[in-house]
Amino acid sequence: MTDVTGEILRSWRQSQGWDVPRMARELRKAARDSGEDVAAHHGLVKMIPQWEQGGRAPRERYRLLYLKVFEDIARDAPPGIALGAEFAIRLAEVRARAGRLPGPDEIRALAAAALARPRERMTPAEIRARAAEAIAHLHEVATKLAELSALLGDDEDKS
Amino acid sequence: MSTRDDEIRRVVAELDAHVATVEADLAVLKALLADNEVREEEDLSQPGNC
Repeated sequence: MTDVTGEILRSWRQSQGWDVPRMARELRKAARDSGEDVAAHHGLVKMIPQWEQGGRAPRERYRLLYLKVFEDIARDAPPGIALGAEFAIRLAEVRARAGRLPGPDEIRALAAAALARPRERMTPAEIRARAAEAIAHLHEVATKLAELSALLGDDEDKS
Repeated sequence: MSTRDDEIRRVVAELDAHVATVEADLAVLKALLADNEVREEEDLSQPGNC
């Protein structure tokens, strides 16, 4: 849980289609269920975007509350989805990393820029091969993301 | 652990590997560009290169 970034917190929230006030309510509900005191609703509504933007890290009790909220979701999910919080974290991380990748055109532009300048470390053929490999794997990323969405029922959730 | 869970884990592992490959290739290309930029700046700062 200590490695969970703000981006992951946001992806967890957005994966449920929750806005920030709803996330605040869920955290307060989880706290109430376990008899803990947490910040008031309006305080959480201010803090959540700060956590998600990485401006500040949530304290341990809030990190544990996040875990509790999303563990509950995993447990309540249909059979096959209850993979556990650790896996949910990994899933969110991998999806976030995939989402940060540039498109094929950007990779081609990067390779073209590298080819247009003097170079010693790599031959033009090696640069082209790197770019081609990146683009090929980028297509695989898109395929796997689609497979994953189908398995997780993302499309059903949106309809 | 259901078959579907196994399938999800497999797809996530494959996705992770593909993402890592793209990230590694991008890192190489960006490092190459950065090196070239540094070298060009050094060349420009050498006497007689202006």
